[in-house]
Amino acid sequence: MDVDTRNMTPTNLIDKIVVPGDVVLDLTKMENQTIKLGSGLRQDYDCISVMQAGKLRLSKPNKYWVESSQKRYVPSLEDTVLGIVVEHRSDNFLVDIKAPNLAFLPVLAFEGGTRRNIPKFETGTLIYARVVKANGIMNPELSCTDASGKAAEFGQLKNGYMFETSTGLARMLLSSPTCPVLEALGKKISFETAVGFNGRVWVNASSPDDVILVSNAIMRSEFLSGTQQRIMAEKLLQRLEKV
Amino acid sequence: MHVRREVIHIHLPRRSTSKCDMVGMVIERDSVGEEGDDVVTPGEFLGEATEFVAGKGAYVSPNGRSVRACLTGRRKVTAAPPGSHDNRSTIEIVGHKAHGAVPQPGSIVIARVTKVMARNASADIMCVDSKAVKEKFSGIIRQQDVRATEIDKVDMYQSFRPGDIVRALVLSLGDARAYYLSTAKNELGVVSAQSISGGTMVPISWTEMQCPLTGQIEQRKVAKVD
Repeated sequence: MDVDTRNMTPTNLIDKIVVPGDVVLDLTKMENQTIKLGSGLRQDYDCISVMQAGKLRLSKPNKYWVESSQKRYVPSLEDTVLGIVVEHRSDNFLVDIKAPNLAFLPVLAFEGGTRRNIPKFETGTLIYARVVKANGIMNPELSCTDASGKAAEFGQLKNGYMFETSTGLARMLLSSPTCPVLEALGKKISFETAVGFNGRVWVNASSPDDVILVSNAIMRSEFLSGTQQRIMAEKLLQRLEKV
Repeated sequence: MHVRREVIHIHLPRRSTSKCDMVGMVIERDSVGEEGDDVVTPGEFLGEATEFVAGKGAYVSPNGRSVRACLTGRRKVTAAPPGSHDNRSTIEIVGHKAHGAVPQPGSIVIARVTKVMARNASADIMCVDSKAVKEKFSGIIRQQDVRATEIDKVDMYQSFRPGDIVRALVLSLGDARAYYLSTAKNELGVVSAQSISGGTMVPISWTEMQCPLTGQIEQRKVAKVD
């Protein structure tokens, strides 16, 4: 029986927890294939081994990466993040995004931004922005426009409440289909959230009770499964109705 | 012949004695000779201005009569070149640290890149004109000095990485912090670099180097070394 070796996955560790040192791919058994490596993997002569503990993921046809959850954020291109303005320099804002370096947000990187209408962000302003340049060596660069130059919800986030989470929870909240806890809460309360890949979540609702309830529900949902999240959200919502 | 002896007492405190003994050292100086083993210090008398010309590290005292040292080092006397009007010997000071290489505008230096930023890259100058420096100098390669063409489209990240060894030309003394360097010539740029996997990369074009261990190609501003 001829086995079609081109489609055979050479690893059975997809979606499993891997630790540093695990060999996930043996390149000698895969010829004439292009493989894309994401974060957490590196090439060690003839094999691909793991650098960071987490879950190994495959995106067909050939992109492999390790998904891990930690408090610190490693900037990567096209991530949407929540940053806090630290300083205002002449040509860019210095923004803290929980990364090893401060990020630069050019003063002109806004929709219709010119030298005459530079936004006045004070220290401590919360900004929703997109990462446009991220390599390990230089300071990352942000932008408050999307790729076509429109504002698209980027910019300052006013009112509301911001709290910090791990990067894994932020990714879960941003996954599609909608995260179960957000769906369950959305049936009873009207609120808006902004989630940054860097582990920051901003919640805004009409009353402070709602804001607190939504924030607590999100913080508690990190290690719960879908059904558990729904049950937890229902329990919290019942408290609201009692009052 | 002018012979002058100077006796200097230098007091060095001796360690760990309760009586605070001082040890004295006596140095005898002789101002005649080709190159002494003795050390001269700034301000020290080297010779008469009528017999010697002040060379590097020496100066003529304000009253115009004596030649004195302005550096710390060893004295060296060179005879006057034949056929010149002035047949005085030249006295200069050698063996001083500053006589190690110092970058001058126009000299080719070898530097190691320390930091890469959006508009410039910092580098530590290690050799000047194939002579190693005694103390490190700081250099900056600005975005417009990386290459000769399309200087506004230069991506610093694709030209240098921290740890690369580059050959550069000193443009000017720059500002108080660093010399200004340029790699805008074919024979200037990255000479040696390590890849992410740790192997020393091999240049394959003007803008690319390849790692021999993994085959990965990285972008650099490569120098064409003959």
